[in-house]
Amino acid sequence: MNFPKDLQYTRTHEWIRYEGESAYIGITDYAQDQLGDLVFVNLPEVGDEVMAGEPFGDVESVKAVSDINAPVTGVVEEANEALADTPEAMNEDPYEAWLIKVGEISATVDLMDAEAYEAFVAEEG
Amino acid sequence: MNLALEQWLTEKVQRDELLLYLWQNERTVVIGRNQNAWKEVDLEALTGDGGKLARRFSGGGAVYHDLGNLNFSFCVHRDNYDVERQLEVIAEAVRSFGIPAERTGRNDLEAYGKKFSGNAFLKTEQGCCHHGTLMLRVDEERLSRYLTVSKAKLASKGVDSVRARVGNLTDWCPDLTAERLSVALRGAMARVYDLPIEVLDLTEALQSEEVLAKAAYLQSWDWLYGRKIPCTFEQEQRFSWGSVQIELQIDRGVIQAVRCYSDALDTTLVHRVEEALVGCRFDKEALKERLAWNADLACWAESYLKELL
Repeated sequence: MNFPKDLQYTRTHEWIRYEGESAYIGITDYAQDQLGDLVFVNLPEVGDEVMAGEPFGDVESVKAVSDINAPVTGVVEEANEALADTPEAMNEDPYEAWLIKVGEISATVDLMDAEAYEAFVAEEG
Repeated sequence: MNLALEQWLTEKVQRDELLLYLWQNERTVVIGRNQNAWKEVDLEALTGDGGKLARRFSGGGAVYHDLGNLNFSFCVHRDNYDVERQLEVIAEAVRSFGIPAERTGRNDLEAYGKKFSGNAFLKTEQGCCHHGTLMLRVDEERLSRYLTVSKAKLASKGVDSVRARVGNLTDWCPDLTAERLSVALRGAMARVYDLPIEVLDLTEALQSEEVLAKAAYLQSWDWLYGRKIPCTFEQEQRFSWGSVQIELQIDRGVIQAVRCYSDALDTTLVHRVEEALVGCRFDKEALKERLAWNADLACWAESYLKELL
């Protein structure tokens, strides 16, 4: 299981990577492993608001739809539409396959660093 | 209505309760959250017989319901969500009638190599729903007819249905009824969880504004056809005045782009078709109206697109 040091993590298994004033958000290696083969993703539109701790989209794997929560409150600047064609990218390289890029960030859920998240996952598993 | 109620139950369920909702639908095809209706369902055959289309909030493929089918929904808090245990309740109830129910690799249930229960799942931060069908005496001829679609000209993103050999529980236990199975499910629920059972009266909930609002949304065109599941549709037709080839790009149920080729002498035709169709709902009546200026094309929209729409 991979836990890159340069990312921060949520208790609901999303990662966030800040880049200037904005941040990229995706699902963790642990999340994709638990979910199994991903076949579809529903993403918000550019300009949509997302709320910290609230679902902003969902993914489908083996007939199960699961919500993906936003680690921050902000506005969607980009949505990774390429995932519509290749949802399996979230399985193959979850830290490259970002879902959305968020700007105008105003609130954040409690985030963990890689070490804390690894310990959290070990406890949950 | 049933899908609206289970959605409501999933949102409302508390940590200290496990809800098992049993329900039936008349002739309905239920598609998965992320499926393309035109690709998965023979809508003409279904609606022609007075059947309905519904889209559920969970994933997976298309299933057919009629009164020969009993549906179950486990609506539970995330902390209590356990697919294996939930499937055990169903399998145990079915086994109590001497049918060797087994779980498949896709979390369905089968006996003698035939699937009798298709299952799908929704997980949110709070409530989770695991629901499925139980085929008792479903009309297999209709099931196969509505769910068999030969639409080679339609290419779509979205989730494809996975075909399986199906069987009815009454093939193996002829005197099994929905009532008897319901009682067995209740008993299995109590045994697997070792908890007392309480029967809930949902009459009031069914008439609540919240549930009615959910039902209205679940029946809306936007939810059934207008989701962001892009597809392309190609069709070619020869007329007395030339041939026309049309390629439509559809998203959210609306034609986003049109490519039209024709060898007709009227060179404005191609442009007029493209102009007429962009922004049009992918819907038989809407297409017919937009093409009303050319009787042949309007007729084509009606008859050739008929199999699709």
